[in-house]
Amino acid sequence: MSTVSDVIPSRFSIGGMSTGQKITILVTILFLAILIFATVTTTGFYSVQNFKAIINAAALVGIIAVGMTYIVISGNLFSLSVGTTAAVCALTFMWALRFGLVGGIIITIVFGAVVIGLQGLLVGFTGANPIIVTIAAGALQEAVAIWISGGVSVYPPDNGPSFAFLASPLFGIPFPVYVFVAAVILGEIFIKKSRFGRGLYLMGESPRAGRTAGLPITRLTTGAFVVAGVCAAIAGILIGAFNQSGTMTASGTLTVDSISAVLVGGTAVIGGRGSVVRTAIGAIVIASISDLLLLRGYSTPVQLLVLGVIVTAVVILSYLNSERAGRS
Amino acid sequence: MSAQARMKPRFSANEQKWPIFLMIGLVILTFAIPPLFHHSSSAFTIYNALQNTATLGLVALGLGLTMVVGEFDLSIAGTYALGGMVAVKLGTGNPIVGILAGVGVCVVFGLIQGLIIAKLKINSMALTLGGYLVALGLTGTIGDNKSQSFSNYDIGIALNQPIATLFSIRIFIGIAVFLAVFLLMNLTNLGRGMRATGGGRRASRTAGVRVDAIVIGTFGASAGLAALGGIIQAYCTATATSNPGLFPLIFAVTACLLGGVGLAGGRGGAFGIACGALTIALLAELFSTVAAPQYVSGLFTGLLLIVVTTAASPYVIRKWHERRIDKSLKVENKVLVTSDSSSKS
Repeated sequence: MSTVSDVIPSRFSIGGMSTGQKITILVTILFLAILIFATVTTTGFYSVQNFKAIINAAALVGIIAVGMTYIVISGNLFSLSVGTTAAVCALTFMWALRFGLVGGIIITIVFGAVVIGLQGLLVGFTGANPIIVTIAAGALQEAVAIWISGGVSVYPPDNGPSFAFLASPLFGIPFPVYVFVAAVILGEIFIKKSRFGRGLYLMGESPRAGRTAGLPITRLTTGAFVVAGVCAAIAGILIGAFNQSGTMTASGTLTVDSISAVLVGGTAVIGGRGSVVRTAIGAIVIASISDLLLLRGYSTPVQLLVLGVIVTAVVILSYLNSERAGRS
Repeated sequence: MSAQARMKPRFSANEQKWPIFLMIGLVILTFAIPPLFHHSSSAFTIYNALQNTATLGLVALGLGLTMVVGEFDLSIAGTYALGGMVAVKLGTGNPIVGILAGVGVCVVFGLIQGLIIAKLKINSMALTLGGYLVALGLTGTIGDNKSQSFSNYDIGIALNQPIATLFSIRIFIGIAVFLAVFLLMNLTNLGRGMRATGGGRRASRTAGVRVDAIVIGTFGASAGLAALGGIIQAYCTATATSNPGLFPLIFAVTACLLGGVGLAGGRGGAFGIACGALTIALLAELFSTVAAPQYVSGLFTGLLLIVVTTAASPYVIRKWHERRIDKSLKVENKVLVTSDSSSKS
């Protein structure tokens, strides 16, 4: 009888120049072109201050997107409530600071992992649609958060520990950027080198084959969602620290931004292919375009419109390429 | 003569029976529960539920049609907003122009999405997420990133004016649209073609069903229905919102699942969706009648959606079928044993 260790090779190669890699190269070229155009035509774009702002914006979205990459690679499409969970985690962190800084961070991370992990458990065990489960979970989290907080902002306890360093610059670079870099490195190593990560790729490539081969589908799916929960919780902690309070409005466009970062990075929407490093590139591209549009005076809806066009184009491109690859 | 042409339209009950019982149960609860909290429901409660079904129900109908053909239109929350905004911007002088413009823009939007999905065989959830963002971006851009008021109040008053206590023109429009879709799906080959497409695309194509045309048309209809719902809502409240959030989508998915539309495609129809939509609208009215805080409604909506999604999951469906097969095998064995013993005697 074949076991999981027989099924999952010790070194899983995604193989040659994949669709995702092609998209990443295309996006990078396009991004460089936009960068040059923006530098020449937009006042204030080419400045250290602005690049710091871009990296900072990319960091928060990027941390969530690292977790989202795991969900997408596992073949469970995406979660439509990670932004809500991040906002709920910001609230939780503010409340949990009464147990000290380390206690607060641990409680928040465990909370995020459990909340999103439970959704993964449901999806993995029953095969329920991940999009609908996560939409419902988002509505549920929002309702519970409003119920408990009374719909108002949550502030840290008086005489609580100092957490200002979580939002302050370190050697001139905002702290979240360090967390983002660490999340990308750890996330990439974990998904590429661990048995769990290789299992995710296999499951995403063909869930039916994975099930037949004895892959622990429920465990892998739950694991992917737990990673997403940890990332959302970390982002929530940083958002809470930056705002010095927790509020549900903080979720903003975090969910769609993180999904866009993953897709723009070239991770296949149908699963099985992609990488965390590419997602990081996607997050920087998304943040740069939003920043450019903002500097040129375009409102949030225009940014949303551009994001939508980019996501649609990337999804189409991804399918066209895989179709061609399939035919060849 | 193609297989599709050979198929005779049949006014058959292609839909589940339980959504209507669920809805009747909710009607009973709507009147039974409030007295326990020292409140009471009235005909106005039903009127309100029907009013909501007439708008958000159309969004559910649009989504439900895409689910029947085995797809899923996430962008309906966007086209719901876009339709309302276009109509409010262009319909001040002549509301009909607003309706035609709003529905027209969204139908084109939906047809483009359907064309891409059908021809490139793209996962509809992924593509329509992009569509949702584009529609929402367009709505915000047209509406200057804020809610836009509609100065023609007369149309809203006329649409909402109660008729025979329980109805209004808005409700009649909703009923007419649901009825039209119901008849189209049951008296023509269209419904059969849609269900066949959702049940198995390759087999349907072999049988002569114009699968691509059905998928493209369904996405056009879905966007158009969502837009019509958004327009009626905008006209009735004299406001078009630039971002209604995910609530219309949550309402629509729950209504479809409660209405017996399967996520795997091939099952469900307008009647079930209407029952599902009315069930949720009644639930919302129930909470409103007992003066429950807003979050209670959100809590129940989220829980309900998780429960119905789990109930519609492959695992639960498989277990259900296994149980039914076990039951029928037991009955067969019993019959065999009985006949065996009687022949011996």
